Amino acid sequence: MRRYALEGVHVLDFSWVGVGPITTKYLGDNGADVIRVESLARPDVLRLAPPWKDAQPGIDRSQFFASYNTSKRSIALDLSKPKARALVLKLLPWADIVAESFTPKALRKWELDYEHLRALKPDLIMLSTCMQGQTGPNALYPGYGQLMAALSGFYHISGYSPGEPPCPPYGAYSDFIAPRFSACALLAALDYRRRTGRGQYIDMSQYEAALHNLAPALIDYFAAGRVAGPQGNRSERYAPHGAYRCADLDGQERWLALAVANDEEWGAMLAALENPPATERFATMERRMHNRAALDEFVGALVRERDADALAATLQAAGVSAYPVQNCVDIHRDDNLEAFGFWHWLDHKVMGPSPYDGLAHRLSRTPGELRSPAPALGQHNDEVLGGLLGLDAAEIARLKEERVIF
Amino acid sequence: MGSELLSGFRMLDFADEKGALCGKIFADLGADVIKVEPPQGCPTRRIPPFLDDLPDADRGLYFIAYQAGKRSVTLNLGSPDGRALLEDLVRKSDFLLESFPVGYMDSLGLGYERLAELNQRLIYASITPFGDKGPGKDYKAYDIVSWASGGPMFMMGEAGKPPLEMSLPQAGLHAGAEAAVASLLAHYPREIEGRGQRVVVDMQACVAWTLMNEQAMPIMHGDYIRRSGVYYTATGTRRKVVYTCKDGYISTLLAGGPGVGAISMKAMVAWMKERGAAADWMIGKDWASWAPGILMEATDTDRQEIADLEERVERFFSPMTKREIYTEGLKRRILLAPVATAADIADDEQLKARNYFVRVEHDTLGRTLTMPGAFAKFSLTPVGPELRAPRLGEHNGEVWGKLLGIDGARLGRLRAIGAI
Repeated sequence: MRRYALEGVHVLDFSWVGVGPITTKYLGDNGADVIRVESLARPDVLRLAPPWKDAQPGIDRSQFFASYNTSKRSIALDLSKPKARALVLKLLPWADIVAESFTPKALRKWELDYEHLRALKPDLIMLSTCMQGQTGPNALYPGYGQLMAALSGFYHISGYSPGEPPCPPYGAYSDFIAPRFSACALLAALDYRRRTGRGQYIDMSQYEAALHNLAPALIDYFAAGRVAGPQGNRSERYAPHGAYRCADLDGQERWLALAVANDEEWGAMLAALENPPATERFATMERRMHNRAALDEFVGALVRERDADALAATLQAAGVSAYPVQNCVDIHRDDNLEAFGFWHWLDHKVMGPSPYDGLAHRLSRTPGELRSPAPALGQHNDEVLGGLLGLDAAEIARLKEERVIF
Repeated sequence: MGSELLSGFRMLDFADEKGALCGKIFADLGADVIKVEPPQGCPTRRIPPFLDDLPDADRGLYFIAYQAGKRSVTLNLGSPDGRALLEDLVRKSDFLLESFPVGYMDSLGLGYERLAELNQRLIYASITPFGDKGPGKDYKAYDIVSWASGGPMFMMGEAGKPPLEMSLPQAGLHAGAEAAVASLLAHYPREIEGRGQRVVVDMQACVAWTLMNEQAMPIMHGDYIRRSGVYYTATGTRRKVVYTCKDGYISTLLAGGPGVGAISMKAMVAWMKERGAAADWMIGKDWASWAPGILMEATDTDRQEIADLEERVERFFSPMTKREIYTEGLKRRILLAPVATAADIADDEQLKARNYFVRVEHDTLGRTLTMPGAFAKFSLTPVGPELRAPRLGEHNGEVWGKLLGIDGARLGRLRAIGAI
């Protein structure tokens, strides 16, 4: 019986930044041997982005990079050199999956695109992920997930009201939608190959994947011409529904997120708050919906002096859905994330112990885990080129001298 | 016809909006996904808004979007006959997905251990709001509560105003997609070894997983991000990421840095210079080493430059439309994007060129609806929605009759006693 779900699966990973590495991290954390092929001439931009160990930048000091590259090995090549590409081709027979996230042009130029690789390894599974897909007029669109989150509609539905500027989600939001789709794509393709012997090519557009998280609004527009817009925390389903300010804690503001789905929960909420006098205006869901502004004021006054954590526990005990609005310090002290084992400290070669987010799921029989911290750039050059390809020390030294490897 | 990728595999889908996307992904991949609904229908049928604003069990846009391609049976889990039927169905299934309160399925004798005795190949995934072990294991999490608990909400909105959720709830979609990944991770060894397993998905963790680099910022750089509207503040310097234009907004990150950043800044400045909108200091600037507030902390000079640059770009964009700016940005390889609405997306030339949207016949509604298509393009086994979401119990006959071989008389009896 295997220890990890994907033991024995080999992945050659040319991808970089967000979607590609996050996808292959799913594989690595579940036992696949993932070798990241990196370049010093064109390092992964996440290696250059904060947070850094001791807030000091450095190619091996970024936790941004580290978080998405656990359980992988790293070799550093200069792919613009033919000798480096020859090394890659030597590794190809070993690989079940090749992942890459260059713009569509780059790999063709280097003859590392699917057509070339398939000629050498017919059952290869290859994932290309880029912003807008491999074909079409905007295939070469450069950009980060931050821009993609705007382009794919998420900025527009984030804000207090249609007349105000958007309040975008933090960061590269679409980078955290697409990887779950591309991981599904690879896993399904992998089992299909096991059954049929046939590999294939997967063209993943981060744009197209992200739009699945907006599907109801898109269907609505096509069918009825309605353009979904920002509506603050207003819901057509729940009332009250929103974030309500509680008592400050250590000089920091605290808010409670609360959603009441029906009259039973509303009654439970009032009971848990010692039955404050509530007017008939709020007695039914329909009335609460009609009197939203007054309702928000009423609830706001009820919770304003309360401790958000204690109140959330009280309300949940009464069957009401509530939780403090947590910042990124709070989530590291959260009892529930702790009980699930979400956070990990791993001892990185250069950074020492540093904080990683873990897996949001657990498998009972073959649980994945962060098997190793992120690799330093080229940390496994010798191991991969020597061990896997059988190059001797002199050859490796020569490649270093010729700056084929770093 | 469906994709060949998961053809022949069957999922029993009990999930509500904490997991509907999981079964949708499986259906897109070609699996036979059977939505097992209570007699009054899955709660996701009642999620507004509705098509043409007509509330109806088959018109909810969420339901139409995320239950597409599934079959529907009705089953009363409260009845012993209903549970017996489910056991028969489990013997013929490969995956099960549920998002009931923790322990509910166990209390009905339908927990993983029991069902694995009937079918050791079964992969049984449970989506939980706060995990299955912690103090919050019995907590309820409607979407906004998950969004708050996991961290993103705190950072969305303006200082002095409440934290925000996106106006299309997202937490359940992340949990559903995570359940799909986890179930497929379990699928690979199951097909080799013949044994399934239990999958537990933690929705709060699924949301925290989207925090990008911010999860570690407070620990490593000492502070956490506060709401700041249209500004990005990761390193303590405010950087504007949304600019007003003639008919809406443009998002851009005015930062250089190695590679595309510097190329983009250079192109942006060249465009502004052509129109007399660039300042002298911007022309010939070494953009490769200029990314204050993004890749590096800002100096006082940086701050002056940021203020000047952002103000000039705001003025530069204001008379142009989103489309003009995006078109020019694409041509010049500038890192920018329109703050697109559903209308912009529907009209996008790239999506059209790739035939992204698909038309799915909805005979139940007397019309054909346009929906997002394949989440990825597979060269050999294309995926994507082909069939509409089912009517309540539409496939009772197919599933109970054909698949389980229950004859008409017994089906009638089961209906009469309220089992189905």
